[in-house]
Amino acid sequence: MKARILEPARVLSIVDRLRSSGYEVIAPFLGRGRDTFFEPVTDANRDRIQIHLPNPYYPPKRFVLPHIERLLRIHRHDGTYDIEPTCDHTQRAIFGIRSCDVAGVYHLDRFYLGREFRDVYYEKRRKNLFLVNVVCTDPERDIDDACFCVCADTGPAARDHFDLQLMDLGDEFMVVAGSAAGEAFIDDPMFRKATPAHLEKRRQILTEVRKQFKTTTSWFPATVRYVSQDSILEKTWEAIGNRCLECGGCTYVCPACTCFTVTDRHTGPDDIERVRMWDACALGGFTRMAGGHNPRRAVHDRRNRRFFRKLAHYFIQRELSMACMGCGRCVAVCHGDIGMPSVVEMIRRATAPVEKLPPAAQTP
Amino acid sequence: MSAASDNVYLPKLAVLDRVVDEIAEVKTFYWHFENPDEQKAFRRFRPGQFAQVSLFGAGEFPASLPPSPTEHDTFFTVRNVGSCTAALHQLQPGERFAVRGPYGNGFPMNQYAGKNLVFVAGGIGLIPLRSCIVYALAHRDQFASLQVFYGARTPRELMYRDTLRQWEQSAGVECHLTVDRAGPDWSGHVGVVGSLFERPGVQLPVANTIAFVCGPPVMFRFVIKDLLAMGLPEACIVSTLERYMKCGVGKCGHCCIGVAYVCVDGPVFTYEQIKKLGEDI
Ligand code: SF4
Ligand code: FES
Repeated sequence: MKARILEPARVLSIVDRLRSSGYEVIAPFLGRGRDTFFEPVTDANRDRIQIHLPNPYYPPKRFVLPHIERLLRIHRHDGTYDIEPTCDHTQRAIFGIRSCDVAGVYHLDRFYLGREFRDVYYEKRRKNLFLVNVVCTDPERDIDDACFCVCADTGPAARDHFDLQLMDLGDEFMVVAGSAAGEAFIDDPMFRKATPAHLEKRRQILTEVRKQFKTTTSWFPATVRYVSQDSILEKTWEAIGNRCLECGGCTYVCPACTCFTVTDRHTGPDDIERVRMWDACALGGFTRMAGGHNPRRAVHDRRNRRFFRKLAHYFIQRELSMACMGCGRCVAVCHGDIGMPSVVEMIRRATAPVEKLPPAAQTP
Repeated sequence: MSAASDNVYLPKLAVLDRVVDEIAEVKTFYWHFENPDEQKAFRRFRPGQFAQVSLFGAGEFPASLPPSPTEHDTFFTVRNVGSCTAALHQLQPGERFAVRGPYGNGFPMNQYAGKNLVFVAGGIGLIPLRSCIVYALAHRDQFASLQVFYGARTPRELMYRDTLRQWEQSAGVECHLTVDRAGPDWSGHVGVVGSLFERPGVQLPVANTIAFVCGPPVMFRFVIKDLLAMGLPEACIVSTLERYMKCGVGKCGHCCIGVAYVCVDGPVFTYEQIKKLGEDI
């Protein structure tokens, strides 16, 4: 990895360079209050781009897997159909993507591009995507109370799967290339070489930042084991399920959820488009078959499903990571307080093999 | 490779040739791909696989492939249960729809060489099993014995009646039929499928046997109990799982149970696997 140094005043010239070389650049902006969002950069909003801000709830996942995406355009004429696949070929860069979301994109890569079938829609978007990761260093502005990337081992500084990584060292920025495209990008006089002192400063800052997290759960490994061994009691799943209001919010904000549904809609008398849109396994109709039979009946069945899918060892092996990135969004949006850290905690408390201890040593 | 042929979500145009009534609300649709190359590629399907059927405007649904690759015709047998299947039921011969696939693991027929094959089906559970029965008959010398046990509620609800007649007359397969409720036109056995196992003269081999079981959940549970009681190992009982499917290629997540994506890891599973997946049939 090559490290470079950049003056703070010149950080946004990264955005300018990307834009002038044909990229649509997406960057984070401040809304009102805690509200933050990713949006395409224009000449008008360019100066309002934020480096330090709470990670937007609506994850940048949507630039590789849009909330609603057209797959096919179908035109009916003379008793037959023209079927036209509609892939997005836009060259796009996400500036300011957080480490947890970088890990999320990599997780999606493994899922959509791995195994038997590749998803071309995802592939086209991904191939044209340039990721400029920003390391979370500001405990006030970057790190939310709910962030637990330190536990999911995805942040606050991503180790790979970005093209460029920016880190605020106080009076300068460190820029690291994580891909061939990133290396080509920093091969430019606008960047200075980093010295060992810079690297030492980076290390110190990260050590300090890691102490700033308010949400921590060190029980992921144990929970993964319990989930995979099927040793979680039915009543624990029920307790978790009872708190789910089936709003689907957690799935909506999750950088690692992959499920979608597909539907046809008419756009004219002879025109139809087939679109896919995000779907949530927590919702009642998710597994209901035509005719009404639903093999997954109770809400805790569905709730379990989501956590099982995210934490079971089998899937971790397949996708090389848990399907939880520690971004903390589910913690912030869940009305029933069953974001990932609470679930991990509930499972661990209820499942830890306390019975092996002498009765006096047992804790609830 | 062109982007189009690479696109797993792109269905290929098909033409409906003819429609045959099976039982109430269930019809068989004979069809072919408009493009002969697609037809040739598709015809490499294996018994137990399925395809995604598109009725533009209504959507897509998964359909098992009841024909055996050893037969000439390509067809689906579909019950009218939802808006997509209803759209297919309304289609007229000569009209177009679209298909992609084949998908799924299918039955590993090669692994079953030299074994006794026992097929137990209830109602429309015969649809996915029809393929392997016909396939096994076409490769009769590869298997030790073939038995079919098939039951429906009434005689009018027996599927594929011409094919059943052929099986009844064939020396290659022992075919036992039953109905829950007989009518004046029925002189055969009356009772649930499992009661066929106790009929005089019926000898169900336990050693070196693979039992294929497909049918409604209640029938499935009872037949499994019978077979296990006879001493058949769980790993030697196979079935196909039906799930709500949107993509057929392991991405949409709708068919996922336990650690399995039914569309790619299934739809064929042994009973041993089904039990571990831990959801309803
Ligand atoms: S989870 Fe970590 S990487 Fe993600 S926003 Fe919070 S501090 Fe940054
Ligand atoms: S049907 Fe989409 S994952 Fe199986």
